[in-house]
Amino acid sequence: MTPYEYPKSTELLARASKVIPGGIYGHFGPPPYVPVSAYPFWSDRAQGAHFWDVDGNRFIDYMCAYGPMILGYANPVVDAAYKAQMEQADSNSLCSPRMIELAELMVDMIPIADWAFFAKNGADMTNLAVMTARAATNRKKIIAIKGGYHGTTPWMQGPGHHGLTDDDLNHIIRIPFNDIVALERAISQYPNDVAGFISSPYHHPIFTDNELPAPGYWQQVQALLKKNGIVFIIDDVRAGFRVNLGGTCEQYGFKPDLIAFCKAIGNGYPISALVGTEALRNDVSKVFHTGSYWFSAGPMAAAIATLTELRRIDGPKILRETGEKLAKGMIDVAASHGYTIKVSGEPSMMYVRITDDPTLMLQQAWCGECTRRGAFFTSHHNWFVSTAHTDEDIQETLRICDEAFKAVKKTA
Amino acid sequence: MTCREVIPIHPITPMPHAGNPRLVRAILKNAPVCASFKLPAKACRHGLEGLSIMGVDQIKASLNLGAVLQNLAELCRLDPESQKLIRDWDVCVQFTVFAGPKAWVEFRGGECRTGLGTTALSDVHLVFVTPGHLNAMFAGSAIPPIPVKGFKRLGFLKNEFPRITARLEHYLKPGPGMLDDPAFLAANTTLTLHTAANALRELVKTEPTAGKIAAGTPTGRLQLAVGSDGPAAWVSFSPNGMEVGRGRLEHPDATMTFRDIPVAQGVLSGKEDGLAAIGRGEVVIWGMLPLIDSATLIMDRVERYLA
Ligand SMILES: Cc1ncc(COP(=O)(O)O)c(C=O)c1O
Repeated sequence: MTPYEYPKSTELLARASKVIPGGIYGHFGPPPYVPVSAYPFWSDRAQGAHFWDVDGNRFIDYMCAYGPMILGYANPVVDAAYKAQMEQADSNSLCSPRMIELAELMVDMIPIADWAFFAKNGADMTNLAVMTARAATNRKKIIAIKGGYHGTTPWMQGPGHHGLTDDDLNHIIRIPFNDIVALERAISQYPNDVAGFISSPYHHPIFTDNELPAPGYWQQVQALLKKNGIVFIIDDVRAGFRVNLGGTCEQYGFKPDLIAFCKAIGNGYPISALVGTEALRNDVSKVFHTGSYWFSAGPMAAAIATLTELRRIDGPKILRETGEKLAKGMIDVAASHGYTIKVSGEPSMMYVRITDDPTLMLQQAWCGECTRRGAFFTSHHNWFVSTAHTDEDIQETLRICDEAFKAVKKTA
Repeated sequence: MTCREVIPIHPITPMPHAGNPRLVRAILKNAPVCASFKLPAKACRHGLEGLSIMGVDQIKASLNLGAVLQNLAELCRLDPESQKLIRDWDVCVQFTVFAGPKAWVEFRGGECRTGLGTTALSDVHLVFVTPGHLNAMFAGSAIPPIPVKGFKRLGFLKNEFPRITARLEHYLKPGPGMLDDPAFLAANTTLTLHTAANALRELVKTEPTAGKIAAGTPTGRLQLAVGSDGPAAWVSFSPNGMEVGRGRLEHPDATMTFRDIPVAQGVLSGKEDGLAAIGRGEVVIWGMLPLIDSATLIMDRVERYLA
C-alpha cells in the first residue's frame, strides 16, 4: 500500500504552535512520536477499534486514547447510558444518585473495596491515596518505584523537572520494582516515618521492557508493610479492569489497602476512583480533596455502564486473548524477517520491543512504518487493545507489520 | 501514559550560554522571549536552594573553566581573526582554583588546545584562592590571581590573552543585527553548542540535582548536530561519569539534529520553542529519548548559575 501522508495534520500543528505551548503539550505532544513525520496529530472521528486523522487516513488504534477506550470508541451501551444521564442532569448543585450506584457497584466488584471516592484524573486519586496514607499514619515518607508513573504533581516527578523545587522530592524514596530487599532497607532507613508504599500492580515504565511481579513478591510486600504499619497503595490507573475486574491485585493474589483507578472505568468519559478498606474510611473522609467536575453525573453513568458491560462480556478475558493473538502474530512476522520481537507485561497492554537494536532506532522506524500503513503503534509506551478489536483487525495489523518490516529493511 | 518520564517534554530550551555571566547575560538579552520572566540571576534564588554560597561558587567556577574556557580551542578553529592573533603565541596557562576545579589552555604552532585538570607543560600557573576569586575574574573583576609560575609571562596575560577572550565575547555577545550575518551566526551557534555540551558535564560533576538526573539516565551516547555536515558535539552518560566530545559518532544511541544553523541558534538560545520545533520537523530526534530528556533537563539548569 502507499504509506499515509499528513499534510493537514502538519498544517494544524503549525497553526497550533502559535497559540498552544509546544503545539501540543503533555503525552500527546510530538517528541515521543519518532519520527514525527510518520505520525498524525489530529483526529475528529473514531469508531470501535479505529480512528481517522484529519487527512482521512484510517488507523487500527493500539493506544486506545492511552488506555481509556477499553470497549472501543463510541460503544453503544456506554454512550446510551451517558446520553440518557445528560438528558437528566450532569454538572449540578447537588450530587446525583448515580454516585451511590457507582460506589455500590465498585464495592461489589472489588474485593478489597469497602468504599469508593470519585474524581476526574488518575493523579487526583494517587494524590488522595498518599494524603490518606499520611493522614492515617502521621508519617511523611512515601516509597515508590523507580520509573513508576503516578501523574504530574511535583512529588510524582523526577529530579530537575521544570517547576519543581528540591523540597518537592524530600519525602519520596524510589526503589526498584520486584526488590523486596530494597523495600526492607528503605523501611529500616526511616523507622516509623514511612506513611505509604505506592506501586502499579506490575511495572510498566516507558522505553523499557515491562515487568510482572516475581512469584511471592506481592505477598512479601504485603506482609512487610502490614508489620510496619505502612499503607499499601496500588496505582491501577493504567492496568485497572484490563487484567481483572476485581483490581489487578486479584490476579496476583494480594490485598492492598487502597487502589487508584482511572483510564478504563468510564470508557473515555472522564472519571477516576479511589477505593479502600474499612480501616481507612475515617482517614480518607477527613482529607479535604475535591474538584469542580468531580460530581458530574454523566461520566458516573458511563462508568456504571462500562463496568457492567465489562462484567457481562468478561472483558479481561477478551483483551487477554486479543493481546496474545497479536503478540504471537507479531513475533512470527518479525522472525520471518530475521528480527526478534519481545513482548512484555500483560497481553491487554503489552510493551513491544525489537531486541535487535538496543538504541530503539529500529523500533522507532518500524513503529513509524506501521503507523504510516494504518496500525497506530507508539515506540516508547505500552500499547492497549480494546474489546472492539476483531480478528480481522489483528490479521490486517499483521499484514501491516509484515510490510513495515520490508520497508525498514529496504531503508536499513 | 507517562508524560514526565517521557521525552523532552520539557522544552529543550533554553540551552545554556554557560559560565561567563557577562557573556551569558548578553546572549540572554538576545533572547527576550525566553528571558522576559526571568529575574536577574542574582535576585533569583530558585534552584539554588539547599546549596551554600560556596557550593554555588564551585559550580560557577566549574562552568567557567570547564565550559567557557574550553571554547577557546573551538574559537581558534573557526575564527580567522583569532587564528591570526595566536599565530605566534607559544604559551600554556594553567588555571587552578584552590580546592576546586583546574583547567589549562595552550597556544602553540598557531593552534589552541584546552583541557581539564593539570598539565605538566604549563609556562604560567595561576592560582585562585577560592572559586569566587576565579569567577570574579571571569566577570571582569580586577582582583588578580596569584601567579606561582611564569612571572615573566605576566605581560602576555595582561595584554595579549584578553584579546582572545574578547574575540570569544564578540561571538557569544552579538550586537544588534550581527546574527544576520550567516558566518557570524554559524560561529555563534557552534560555540553555543559546545558550551552546552561541556556545561552539561560540569553540572553533572558539581550540582546535586544534575547529578541525580544523570544517575537516573541509562548508559548511552547522545549526538547533538546541525544538519548532516554542520557543527556537532556528543555527550555520553555512564555510571562512571560523563564524557563530552566534538564531532560525529559512528553509532550514537540517540541523536538530536537541528535542521540548519538558524534553527539550532533559535532553539539553543531559547528564542524558539524547542517542542514546537520538533513538531514542525525542524529538530529531529531518534533513539534512546531518555538521553535527550536528561541532557536537555541538565542544560536547562545552567542559567541558574549566571550571577
Ligand atoms: C499508572 C498511572 N498512574 C497515574 C497516571 C496519571 O493519570 P492522569 O494523567 O489521569 O492524572 C497515569 C497516566 O498515564 C498512569 O498510567
